[in-house]
This record gives sequence, C-alpha cells and structure tokens, in this order.
Amino acid sequence: MQYNCIKKEEWDKTLEHLLLSYTIFASVENEFGIDYELIRSEDIAKITYNKPKPSTPLKSFFLPVKENVSSMKAEEKPRIIIGIPNCDIEGLCLPDDIYLDKEFSDLFYSKRRENTLLIASDCFGIQEHCHCLSYNVKPYSEKHADLAVINLDGTIVLRILSVKGEEFVRKIPAFTSQVDKNLIAVIEKEHLATETLLTKSNKGLPDYKKTGDLTTSAKGDIWEKYSARCVSCGACTTICPTCTCFLLIDKPGFEKVKQMDACQYPGFERVAGGEDALYELHNRFRNRYMCKYVWKPGKFSSLACTGCGRCIEACIGKINKNEIFMELENSH
Amino acid sequence: MKDDRNIYSPIKARLTDVIEESPSIKTFVMVPENKFSFKTGQFIELSVDGIGEAPFTPSSSPLITEKLEVTVMKTGYVTEYMHMLKPGVYMGIRGPYGRGYPVESFFGKEVLILGGGCGLAPIRSLLYALESIKDKLVKVILCYGSKSPSDCIYKPLFDRLNRTEKFEAYRTVDKADEDWDGSVGVATTLLNKIKINIENSVAVVCGPPVMMKFGTIRLLEMGYKDDQIYLSMEKNMSCGLGKCGHCMMGEFFVCRDGPVFTYNEIKHNPEIWK
Repeated sequence: MQYNCIKKEEWDKTLEHLLLSYTIFASVENEFGIDYELIRSEDIAKITYNKPKPSTPLKSFFLPVKENVSSMKAEEKPRIIIGIPNCDIEGLCLPDDIYLDKEFSDLFYSKRRENTLLIASDCFGIQEHCHCLSYNVKPYSEKHADLAVINLDGTIVLRILSVKGEEFVRKIPAFTSQVDKNLIAVIEKEHLATETLLTKSNKGLPDYKKTGDLTTSAKGDIWEKYSARCVSCGACTTICPTCTCFLLIDKPGFEKVKQMDACQYPGFERVAGGEDALYELHNRFRNRYMCKYVWKPGKFSSLACTGCGRCIEACIGKINKNEIFMELENSH
Repeated sequence: MKDDRNIYSPIKARLTDVIEESPSIKTFVMVPENKFSFKTGQFIELSVDGIGEAPFTPSSSPLITEKLEVTVMKTGYVTEYMHMLKPGVYMGIRGPYGRGYPVESFFGKEVLILGGGCGLAPIRSLLYALESIKDKLVKVILCYGSKSPSDCIYKPLFDRLNRTEKFEAYRTVDKADEDWDGSVGVATTLLNKIKINIENSVAVVCGPPVMMKFGTIRLLEMGYKDDQIYLSMEKNMSCGLGKCGHCMMGEFFVCRDGPVFTYNEIKHNPEIWK
C-alpha cells in the first residue's frame, strides 16, 4: 500500500483552500452521533477521523430520495466526501454495478460518481451492530475508494487507493510520501484490534455465503415470527447502503421523477388488475433477505449486505436480522 | 424531449388511431417522432402524459418501423386513462427493452403457440414475424383461449392464418354464448386436437399467469423438454432497465433478462408462478 502524510494543521489548511473549488462533506460527531455534514471553513476542526460509520449511508450522495430525471442540471461543483467507512465503500459497488452498466448507464448517477472524490476512513473501534468482517469486509478500505484517511496524533496519513486519489495527492505539495514506518505499524495494530473486536462481537454469526444458504432453506414460520414486529416503514431499506430500488413517477410534459422505493412497502410488486406477489407482510419481509443474500449475489459480484448494521439500528420494531440468522444457524 | 443519453427520457409518439377490439381492449396505433424499431417479444414503456407509464409488448409487426401498435386491456389506473385517449394526442415511449423471442432458433421447426386473453397481443407480433420467415419454418400452430367469444380479440386474424400456408389457428372460449359453435374449455384443451412433432418443435406460452402455469404443465406432460418451452413473464415494471427492482423474479430482472425465458432458465425459481 502506498501512503502519504501531512501535518494535521497543514491538512486543515489544505481543506480550507479546497473549499474554494470543492463542496466538502465529512463525518462529524455531534450530540446525536456521527453523520456527514456540509463543511464550511469553521467546521474543518470538527471533522471526525478514525470512527466507525456515519448514520447516513454513502448512497444518499448519489441517489437522492426524489429527483426529476427529465433533464440534466448544470454542472455541479466537484465534491469530496471525507470519513467513509469501508462498509459504505464496499456498499457502493452494487449501486455502481446497477447504475453504471454499459447498456443503460444512469447519467445522473454517473455524473455524481465522476464528480466526487471518495476519502474513506479506517475504523478504529466498532459500534454495537457492526459486523462487516463476518461478510469479509475489512474495517478499513484497500480498494474502491480514492483515498483513505487516518488521523494519528497530529499527523494525517493518506492511503492511496486509486489513480484519481493519486492525482489528487500529487497536486498538494504539502504531502510527503516519506511516511514514518512506526505510523504504519500503529495503523496496522489498530486494524488488528478492530478486527479482534468485530470477531468477538459477532461470534457464531454465519458468513455471507452461509447466510444465503440459511435464507434459502428457511421455513415460512421464521419469517412470520420476525415480521410480526415489522410495520413496513422501509427504514431498513432506506438506511441500507446497497438498497437502491426506485419508482418512476410521471409529471406533465412527459417528465419523470425518480423516487426511492422499497420492497417493504405494500404494493411494491402489485400489477394492474390487483395481483400482488408480496401482498403478505411475511413475504415482503422474506423478500428483502432473499434479495440481499441469495438473488443479488447470484446476479452481481458485489455484496448486497456489507454488515454495517444500520438496518438493525433503524428498525422501530427492534428486529435484529442477525438474531434471525443466529437462530437459523443454531437450529440447522 | 429526448436526450439520447438520458435513459429515463421518453420519445413522443402521435396517436393516429384507436381500434376497439373488445369491450375492455383497445389497440392504439402510434407514429413515433423518432425512428423506432423493436424485436418481437420485446416491450416498451408507454406513458400517458402526466398520468403514468406501463409496460406493453407491441402487437404490430416488428418489420414495420413507421408505426407501432399496442393492444391494451383496461385493467388499472394508467390503462383507464389510456382508454380515454383520442387520436391526435401524444404518448411517450421508452424502449424497446428486454429479450424477445429468439425466432432464428425456430428455423426448421414446428412452432406451437399457446395463448390466452390479452396474451394474444404480443403473440400477434410474433405471428407477423413468423409469417415473414415461414419458408424457414415447418409449421406454426396457434391455440388461443378467451373467456367468452366477445373477449376474443383480432377475430379476422384466425381466418387469415388458416388461409396462410403452414399456419393453423384454433380458438376456444371458457364460456360460450348462443352464437358460439366452436370449442368450449380452457386454452390447453385445444392441445388435444393438434398434430405436432414434439421432438422438432418449440412451444411459446403467453397469457395470464394461471394459464402460463397450467399451459407449461400440460406441455411438459405432452413431452416437451424444459428448454423447448418459451414463457413471456409478466411483472410490475417501473424502469424497464434492470434498475428499479420491481420486476425481480429470483435473481432475474424480468425486464432485462426476459421478458421471454425458456422454462429451463427459470424452472428452479419458486417465485415464477407468483
């Protein structure tokens, strides 16, 4: 891995300078937790480093809840997003597969992707429901982002992960590629510590492939049991970094509005005439798990669940998907 | 209106004629503003301005590119509005989308088509395509069932087909009226009447889900192999581009991977008859 580093004060000054030509979003810890915030120069010092995930999934920067997709807007200022956990970096691969496919590339999505520099953050420590490692997603990025940032006692270390990231760093003279080996050793030690925490916290949780097998063979009663607390609010899909289903809505003048949708909402599969394969709540509930662990993996090479745990945190019925899979695993 | 790079943007098509096929079915004849062509079995997303959009397989010949016909049953929100449209207005078209019938692989074979209800619309387009390549086919047999004689669309089509070399067409109704002297029973009952060399044939099934299911079961009983049966699947489709997720049927996006599948491709999927 190629590393560069810069003094924290220099990094903050660099960000201030970059604000002239970029819109910067970064993870910031406040009284409600950690989330992305639009950064103004006075906010630079508040940027949070090395902490696990912001509440909002990364997809929200590329797939707005609702947008008119009739015509392209004027060019937007390029964006930098700082502090992205690897569960979200890996979680963006599936939307990329879907929206950037060669035959039907979504212009709105692709423009935003081209226009955005992704600066990941290593997670030093975990949150209650983090389980990325169970699905072979590391708590730090080694690919798919442009850069990864680590803050070590006054020194900002950047791991270079893409050509775009390399070009970005090259333009900033204050960066040096002479990185103290001790700093790298500290980073590696933190990685190991976080991985140990994840392993301990998710002991017995089946891996991604096994989860798919368990989902496929699960009997109907488990879906009925766990869906009894589901109110079809769609929080789990809204907060999921890989759920990207939408509905096209017609407006006068043959305009189209693209609105995020969810298989958990009643009527998602209803056809004209009224037939609805997902009419029953437990079928809708099962659909999400089949999609994430069986169907999407069968179709795409990217993960449809990266173990961020947001769906568990967001559920107002307190449904914990990992409890379902532990129960299935233990009864197997 | 159309930005070629924008996959969500439709082209306009002027509605030039509306043909009443049955009390609840109309055929809309449109002239697209831009060049438009499709392969038989592919579908389009057809929109009523400001109201909504729905997927339909054109019922006209894929060889005719200057106009397009879509046959629509009044059965939901968008189609109710569609049925109120008069010639002269503009509709929106996106597409064509999906994988249609692989007619080249039918060369040298007998083609059995089992259709029901409004499924005859895409079948009519297929029949036009097959007529144009009939020299390369052994024969084509159409078995079609409708609820009642008045629900049967394209009535002149049957006489014309029966006068066409290599083509046979049979009709049945679930429930006869006093003027009906033909077969009574579901579409699959017509399969008892036909002579076909199953080994050298393919079967195409298109119709309501229940007919597709029992039609497939009957064809398998007759000796058709899984990869000889072509099914045109129906699902809720919003984008038609393999993105919106509404039409997922197991690991398939019906809009993108279908809508035409061989039974062999989808038979392991318990979701297909839902």
